[in-house]
Amino acid sequence: MILKTKLLGHVYEFKSVKDVLAKANEEKSGDRLAGIAAENAEERVAAKVVVANLTLADLRNHPAVPYEEDEVTRIIQDDVNEKIYGEIKGWTVAELREWLLDEKNDGAAIRRISRGLTAEMIAAVAKLMSNMDLIYAAKKITVTAHCNTTIGEPGTLSCRLQPNHPTDDPDGIMASLLEGLTYGAGDAVLGLNPVDDSVESVRRVLDRFQEIKKRWSIPTQICVLAHVTTQMEAVRQGAPCDLIFQSIAGSQKGNEAFGLDGKLIEEARQLALREGTAQGPNVMYFETGQGSELSSEAHHGADQVVMEARCYGFAKRFQPFLVNTVVGFIGPEYLYNSKQVIRAGLEDHFMGKLTGIPMGCDACYTNHMKADQNDIEDLAVLLTTAGCNYFMGIPHGDDVMLNYQTTGFHETAALREMFGLTAIAPFQRWLEDMGFVRDNKLTELAGDASILLA
Amino acid sequence: MNEKELRALVERMVAELAGQAPTPQVKGADYHPTQPEGTNTGCLDDISEIDLRQQYLVPNPRNGAAFQDLKRKTPARIGVGRAGARYKTITMLRVRADHAAAQDSVFSHVDEAFVDQNGWVFCQTLCADKDEYLTRPDRGRRFDEQNQQIIKNTFGVSPKVALVVGDGLSSAAIEANAPDCMEAIRAGLEGYGIQPGKVLFVKYCRVGASDHIGELTGAEVVCMLVGERPGLVTAESMSAYVTYKPYLGIPESKRTVISNIHRQGTTAVEAGAHVAELIKTMLEKKASGIDLKL
Amino acid sequence: MAEELLSVGIDIGTSTTQLVISRLTLENRANPFSVPRISIAKREVCYRSGIHFTPLRSDTVIDAEGVRAIVAEEYEKSGFSREDVSTGAVIITGETARKENAREVLRALSAFAGDFVVATAGPDLESILAARGAGADEYARENHCKVLHFDIGGGTSNLSLYDRGELAATGCLNVGGRLIKLERESGAVTYVSPVLRRLGERGWCPVPAVGERVGPEELAPVVQIMVEALEQAALLRPGTDRLEHFKTEGTRWEPVQAPVLSFSGGVADCIYDPQGDWRAYGDIGVLLGRAIRDSAAFRSVRLRRGAETIRATVVGAGSHSTDLSGSTIFYRGVEFPLKNLPILKLTEEEERGSAADLEGALRAKLGWFADEGGLTQTALALRGSKNPEYRRVKELAQGVCRGLEPLCQEGFFPVLVVEADMAKVLGQAMAPLLEGPLLCLDGVGVDNGDYIDVGAPIANGAVLPVVIKTLVFNKG
Repeated sequence: MILKTKLLGHVYEFKSVKDVLAKANEEKSGDRLAGIAAENAEERVAAKVVVANLTLADLRNHPAVPYEEDEVTRIIQDDVNEKIYGEIKGWTVAELREWLLDEKNDGAAIRRISRGLTAEMIAAVAKLMSNMDLIYAAKKITVTAHCNTTIGEPGTLSCRLQPNHPTDDPDGIMASLLEGLTYGAGDAVLGLNPVDDSVESVRRVLDRFQEIKKRWSIPTQICVLAHVTTQMEAVRQGAPCDLIFQSIAGSQKGNEAFGLDGKLIEEARQLALREGTAQGPNVMYFETGQGSELSSEAHHGADQVVMEARCYGFAKRFQPFLVNTVVGFIGPEYLYNSKQVIRAGLEDHFMGKLTGIPMGCDACYTNHMKADQNDIEDLAVLLTTAGCNYFMGIPHGDDVMLNYQTTGFHETAALREMFGLTAIAPFQRWLEDMGFVRDNKLTELAGDASILLA
Repeated sequence: MNEKELRALVERMVAELAGQAPTPQVKGADYHPTQPEGTNTGCLDDISEIDLRQQYLVPNPRNGAAFQDLKRKTPARIGVGRAGARYKTITMLRVRADHAAAQDSVFSHVDEAFVDQNGWVFCQTLCADKDEYLTRPDRGRRFDEQNQQIIKNTFGVSPKVALVVGDGLSSAAIEANAPDCMEAIRAGLEGYGIQPGKVLFVKYCRVGASDHIGELTGAEVVCMLVGERPGLVTAESMSAYVTYKPYLGIPESKRTVISNIHRQGTTAVEAGAHVAELIKTMLEKKASGIDLKL
Repeated sequence: MAEELLSVGIDIGTSTTQLVISRLTLENRANPFSVPRISIAKREVCYRSGIHFTPLRSDTVIDAEGVRAIVAEEYEKSGFSREDVSTGAVIITGETARKENAREVLRALSAFAGDFVVATAGPDLESILAARGAGADEYARENHCKVLHFDIGGGTSNLSLYDRGELAATGCLNVGGRLIKLERESGAVTYVSPVLRRLGERGWCPVPAVGERVGPEELAPVVQIMVEALEQAALLRPGTDRLEHFKTEGTRWEPVQAPVLSFSGGVADCIYDPQGDWRAYGDIGVLLGRAIRDSAAFRSVRLRRGAETIRATVVGAGSHSTDLSGSTIFYRGVEFPLKNLPILKLTEEEERGSAADLEGALRAKLGWFADEGGLTQTALALRGSKNPEYRRVKELAQGVCRGLEPLCQEGFFPVLVVEADMAKVLGQAMAPLLEGPLLCLDGVGVDNGDYIDVGAPIANGAVLPVVIKTLVFNKG
């Protein structure tokens, strides 16, 4: 294993695999905050050169956190298909990159190889990819999952309807929910971020969602994104619930900060399968985001791309229906500006798909970041090109509860129209039956939520 | 190009050469071009004054009155209609205006004259500028020697309460709410027989600066008003973080937080009264955050 | 953190007396990182009494002792002790509401109804409580429509109009099932109310006399005219002559059409579950119910049966009379409960004045109260302002404190009821300016002519239960 290279006349030597991976990252303010970023552009490229020449075995043998210390590492390592790994362990990261980009290797071949990869390998290859490489490779990979409907089929673009309200007012939630449906949002999930994380509140919203879903026979899934234990209690008390949600991190310590471990997530999954309302088999929903480990001082000196890839390895164990990165939510100390957010969004989507999970993206930004609506529209267009499974749908992109901006109902509708995509098939039929969509365009009824009040 | 257009072009070129061309000015100053064109002296209405809860742009709704009942219950931007699968111009412009206000409140500074007017004592964290403030939260929680001395001089030794205003992520929130809120806190404390002392203003301030202030002064309670990260609904939302005997490294769960202080949320004065009572309770029960059972 | 509150409702009507005990569940709807916002999340009836005939000493005088016995028995049956119950309302309604008699009844009940329970009468409040008890307000809100509600009892019909969520009008007509009473066996008339006797005097229709034996045919014309009055009230029949004849004194009901009509009261049951025996109750209630059901005019709109019928008023009194103050309030040295405080409200302009102006306006208005028979413990109502500067709060505090001095000199103390959310800061600003008890609460809109009751603090002292007694509902 060589951790040293000459570049442009200078010699660069790196301390460890973890160190060189961090320095090979495209520039991220979070890596700088952690004190692990490359000093300058040349050092960054030198690190990429070194990473390109590492073998997959080098990466497998040097996880970001040791196997003995960390549950996430154990889950990822234990889930590796040893036979497939055996075939590729001698590849360099550069070879893996070119293999993924090679037109002879299609999605099915990539899905097979994926079972021999660990998070560190996936992160490493992402670091050698340009933005278009990330799109080009991800586009080949189809990952579907089934809850009540099937997400991720080629030709579809889905949307989570996120009808958040600053005080969980049931009427206010309903107003946003109904309007979103008329624009074709909500085929991924009807999913609220509650203000009040109590069991009663979660039940109240789930009951309301179920009522709407039944009244209008909407083929979709429902979820309230409270803490996993709150949702579990609601399900035990008989609340209708298709998906159980949880934010996850790329290390055991990070997950502890979120109040969870693998055992709890498996328990939640079993509960949803046994007592939930969904067909399954995919009944989990996870959110992630670069930098969250550093913010809870659980990054173990690793960079945020590596830690993010580890989230996906952890997520895969629980066969989720939805996984998305909340890419611009965390703030400028982790992702400084729109350039970094767009890069991170493309990396996360690619890494998620390569891991084999049904990846979507909350393409978003906060107001203390140097980004605006144009930037996330750019990201959404790029990710649609890359075959992203779903985006968020919020009225006019403005989340009045979480105080950030993401994609609106109009964005998914426009992307579907521009790219010739549809919602998930049964949901698309529902939209057509209701008269909101015709010939893959919105109709004059779209946007009039009062139709659903009649 | 006809003669009229040509003349207009020439006029514009001359104006530019003479340095008379209108250039956008900084926020805060109303923008007026030096040479208004023609005789049209009208002024467009301020689109940021449109009440979004009343704005309803869906043409021929089936049951519009019913929807508006629901719409009034949420600040979400619904009932906005569409232009194809894109937004109408008016709502798109309004989002941009609200975003501009939010960004300006992050990236602008609380005026030092404003700090003086309110009689607050000025100090600054280790951050040298906004950029450092935004990317280095650790430096927004500590003070250098000189500022440490200012803090010690302001509060003295072991005060009952240290009142602090921090700019945080919204200067606009501080300018809109902090003076009235602080006055209400001070009056409330006096009513409870607690001497409020001086007020410290901290530039480039993170909530954790409370802890350094606590260590430096031995204050029993540190109460910090700080600008929240702005949203589009309001850029003027402020929080109060009140901590009993803070120290470096105190867990966040030991703070009591009152957020959402702004015109449409909890008003500055009512929040101030609430905070004054909270401080009194903390002094009695010697606890804050999860340790304080209310 | 769900906290519960038991509330009693007692309805002593012309014909029946009932009691319910309701459970009000409080909930803090604010997120944990902001000031509390406690509201009543659920109102459910947990005990319903039987329906007793109101014990009477004569046609119009209630037998107070008899009522006391009924209430005592029902408390016993309910399993709740009177200490458990902390709020509620006693309503004495209809023709029986005679002032002296009502006072006697309340005295007889005071041991049971507890310290917190308020007593009241008045057709406007009764209309509101009946409509809320029957769920008409909720229906209007959820279906985004106008609902005209009729609570048709023995002596009167109480009307209220809800336009979506909002109360838009109330009124009262002398239309009821017991305006004629008869012997169940023989059909001989035993009582005819004066308002019906006047129908005969006006020559509108023949009215049976006491002692006469009558069948449905003889009663039909009288019943028909009563129905026509209801139809005119709902703008489903031209003219206002019938309506005018039956309006109670002080009612200003303007005929109004609503897409949904809902009914409660004893007669409502006769609309939906017609009794085979028209004389079952010894009155004309069954006939009146049938006539409403058969009215072609009423059939032209949507009719809705109240969620409660005969119990609507008592459920309203038990479950809907109590509201909560805002969750940031101020009180010092107050002995709760405070009962029957008349409201003194300044005009908007007076309220905007300087400290000196406020003082002057208050002293002038207190003078009126004093002239009317001496000062009593009064509550000062203010609109307040949405987002006041602290300077203004201070000014308000000074003006109010000085203006209320005459009241304090008489041994009373300042009670402020503010609409806008500013009671805590105002209270804190007033506190150093005066000695003794002080109460400032907010989140409550009241008007001159209203009375307010304030119960002891609940939810850890954060809020106060209040009952507003609207004697005259005056929209706008």
